[in-house]
Amino acid sequence: MATCALRGQLFPAGRAGAEALATRGIASPEGPERPGPLQDETLGVASVPSQWRAVQGIRGETKSCQTASIATTEASAQTWKHADAEVQTEAPEPVSVPSSVSWSDGPGLAAFLRRVEPMVTRELNKNWQSHAFDGFEVNWAEQQPTVTCLHTLGYPPAQAQGLHVTSVSWNTTGSVVGCAYGRLDDGDWSTLKSFVCAWNLDRRGLEPQQPSAVVEVPSAVMCLAFHPTQPAHVAGGLYSGEVLVWDLSRPEDPLLWRTGLTDDTHTDPVYQVLWLPELRHSQRFQVLSAAADGKVLLWQGGAGGRLRLSAGFALAVQQLPRNTKLKKPPRGETEVGTTAVAFSSFDPSLFVLGTEGGFLLKCSLAAAEAALTRMPSSVPLRAPAQFTFSPHGGPVYSVSCSPFHRNLFLSAGTDGQVHLYSMLQAPPLASLRLTHKYLFAVRWSPVRPLVFAAASGEGDVQLFDLQKSSQKPTVSVKQTQDERPVYCLEFNCQQTQLLAAGDAQGTVKVWRLSTEFTEQGPRETEDLDQLAAEVAT
Amino acid sequence: MVQPCEWSPAMESTGLHFNPGPTAYLYLLCDCRQAASPLRVSVASLAGIPIKSTMDNPTTTQYANLMHSFILKARSTVREIDPQNDLTFLRIRSKKNEIMVAPDKDYFLIVIQNPTE
Repeated sequence: MATCALRGQLFPAGRAGAEALATRGIASPEGPERPGPLQDETLGVASVPSQWRAVQGIRGETKSCQTASIATTEASAQTWKHADAEVQTEAPEPVSVPSSVSWSDGPGLAAFLRRVEPMVTRELNKNWQSHAFDGFEVNWAEQQPTVTCLHTLGYPPAQAQGLHVTSVSWNTTGSVVGCAYGRLDDGDWSTLKSFVCAWNLDRRGLEPQQPSAVVEVPSAVMCLAFHPTQPAHVAGGLYSGEVLVWDLSRPEDPLLWRTGLTDDTHTDPVYQVLWLPELRHSQRFQVLSAAADGKVLLWQGGAGGRLRLSAGFALAVQQLPRNTKLKKPPRGETEVGTTAVAFSSFDPSLFVLGTEGGFLLKCSLAAAEAALTRMPSSVPLRAPAQFTFSPHGGPVYSVSCSPFHRNLFLSAGTDGQVHLYSMLQAPPLASLRLTHKYLFAVRWSPVRPLVFAAASGEGDVQLFDLQKSSQKPTVSVKQTQDERPVYCLEFNCQQTQLLAAGDAQGTVKVWRLSTEFTEQGPRETEDLDQLAAEVAT
Repeated sequence: MVQPCEWSPAMESTGLHFNPGPTAYLYLLCDCRQAASPLRVSVASLAGIPIKSTMDNPTTTQYANLMHSFILKARSTVREIDPQNDLTFLRIRSKKNEIMVAPDKDYFLIVIQNPTE
């Protein structure tokens, strides 16, 4: 809209247009000379016609082109002379060394080796005969003589409801510890609300009674697992059989995925969830859930916040391998409830299942046999079991595969015993009676091959060092004063001196281990191999 | 009765032969010539190319890369303290094993030995 700029310079966009502008604009009675009282004026629309567009217009010409005619000729050919020959590859020469430089550099190399050999031989000889370093140990880190409790964390509303800590998990960076609340001594269906809490231990101003993230869950949470690469994603299995995945970095709506209540979901409490890398994309992960209805299911995050079943296994008593005598003869298609899962660190498709009946099964993700089950499922369920180990006296609550030896794993059951098994034989290599009450969790240490920790029903966390003594615990720390059980424990793989344990009082205690449990000695892996070998014979 | 470990490289047309003794060890022979042939100038040649090794490929390349800069640093340290001096032998002792390096203008020989306890 043109205002008092009429008086100023107007760039003539077109002669005709400028005149129209000038004539139309002088409609104001006062004129631009005097600054009259402020009035609203509407002036005409100033339009500037285009100069070039009128000139150009649309021009069209028609042209056509055509290729020259294609010349073709026909000719025929025929072979009149031929010869036979055979070709065969020679047997490959055995490659003995990874050499990236040809041997044409010979003479200098030979001279170098001849010059250097006596010196190196002398040093090697001196070394194995020397006592110079006997008993010489260097301490790089500050020595911690005893196991101390660093933090005592709890969530008061959950504790007020009398909830127990059913599972703890560390996240991938090792700075956040999450715990799941629920009840482990309820036999019947319950509708109590429960919580999943997470504390960030590296944050300054950590409040032990105020978690950094709290998620309300409609049913008791039985197990928890943080995502292996995403620091804020956590999967949990509920008492109702659902599996949920939360994103703790979104406090207003943490729920990412859920299984919902479809035909595929578990019908019994989910006792363990794990994250597994997908077969084809090893950067993406899927959730494995094991529940008391005998199914082990693999879920993938799908559209609409739903977890989609991608593969599944079902256990039936008839399909268990018969290499060990089981107590009851099977009748009908009885399901075998699974209570614990552990994957081997060396073979990603091999896993061990602990069951309610007390026996352990060696299973494989690649098993192809179909499962005998009447439960409907969108994905065909397979029978995974390949080998049965000797049973415990009661349900097995925890299995842990050694991160240092491909065949060893531990299992803990309600008979108060920890069994050390080898994948190769059915009876256990060693069995240790730790307590007269139940044992709820056992875990290998991620840094020392011979150390494991167990959570007992008498309220203490026991640490075993198989190098020192294989009969009694090296250290036993009391977590609860009134002997209420400790239900779960986890080592922190990033900050290897931390161990988190949750108990029936609803508190999670973070223990800092003494240096003897965190620093690996020189020959421990060999000692572990030796232990496995000598106990097996 | 402990026997001295025999270790004698015999240069034949196919390569070196080392006889292992009572202490377990591994060795790695590196070529560290850099300006000798301009065709071979690459990141790998600046780090020391392994010629022969008793370890698997990933461990070999890891040792070659890490030890090369360490050896050059050690050599420059010795020469800086006394320019007439030079590095003849390098030993790194750790909790689990001992790494011994015999350096030269063109080649390194790295031997890793498990000390007997």
